[in-house]
Amino acid sequence: MNIFLVIFLLVDVLLIGIFAPMAIRHAQAHFWHKKQEGSGGTKHGAVQNGHLPPSVREHLLEEAQRNFQHVLDSSAKELQQDLAATTLEIHKLVEKMGTEAVASELENYRTRLAELQKKTEEDMAGMRETIAAQQEELKAKVAADIQAEKARLLTQIDTRLGDAVTSFLLDAMQYEVDLGAQGPYLTKLLEAHKDEFKKEVGDETKVE
Amino acid sequence: MKLKLNEAISSPNDLHGLISELRDYAKWYGQNAIKKQVHAKHITHEQPELSPAAKAILQDWASEHPVSRASLDELIQSLEKHLKGAPIMTVTLAAPATTGIKKQLTAWCRDNIAPGVLVRFEFNRNLLGGMVVRYGSHIYDWSVRRQILDGRNKFPEVLRNA
Repeated sequence: MNIFLVIFLLVDVLLIGIFAPMAIRHAQAHFWHKKQEGSGGTKHGAVQNGHLPPSVREHLLEEAQRNFQHVLDSSAKELQQDLAATTLEIHKLVEKMGTEAVASELENYRTRLAELQKKTEEDMAGMRETIAAQQEELKAKVAADIQAEKARLLTQIDTRLGDAVTSFLLDAMQYEVDLGAQGPYLTKLLEAHKDEFKKEVGDETKVE
Repeated sequence: MKLKLNEAISSPNDLHGLISELRDYAKWYGQNAIKKQVHAKHITHEQPELSPAAKAILQDWASEHPVSRASLDELIQSLEKHLKGAPIMTVTLAAPATTGIKKQLTAWCRDNIAPGVLVRFEFNRNLLGGMVVRYGSHIYDWSVRRQILDGRNKFPEVLRNA
């Protein structure tokens, strides 16, 4: 805004600089001619009116008009040229300012976009690491669960198999007892624990 | 004298029976002795039948003590005292114990544990084989059933290796 204001003021000053001399010049010409006419009227009016023929006067008037027209044209031309130059300059300035503003905004946009992209990439990397860690943890847990379930099933199968075989043996052997053949085996069992029995007898004797 | 029990007298019940037999014998012996003293003509009571174990213990006793009512009573008292104080072992088998098994185990116990030990025999078919010995505060389960139950975890491994 400040730049537009300055340009506007400069244009104003330029226009004032153009129109002010023209106005002064016209004022001078007007007042000086009036004064001449006034003084001539008092001192030489009769002489001029008496000496200058109408054709001369007309010629002078025409010449003055031409001069005035010429000055006016040249001034208008200069003003037009100045105006065109100023317009061009303003146009260039506006274009330059617009380009700079657009470039600046574009640069800011790119910077922010790069920052956002960087931040997004960092977040994505963190998320990828977290997901990978969770995947590994999940894999380990699932593997452990599968292993535990496998061991449990194997134990269950073993237990049931053991129970089945035991039950079968108990049922099969229930009515096939032959004590006669077990005599040496029973004696052998007692022999293996002879010391324990003796110790027990000794303890009972001590108590008594 | 230290009593030496026959292998046939293994359990407290057997000893009870022996004492009962000896009481009858002592009673008969006393009555018979009195009748002899008074020369009674009619001796109606016959000598009671004694088991081989009773005969054996009477013979042992008579070798060191003159046979009389008093000495027989002393023998009976000794046996009763022994019954009260003797260590008792209970053996449970998978079937009713045969005489041979009874003698074999009782002899082993008296030779290796204590000379006067009494062995009570019981049976339980569920044991399948082997025996369960209860002595004092201990129970020793050497039954086949126990071995099968203890080894049930080994069956799957054995089957896998087969």
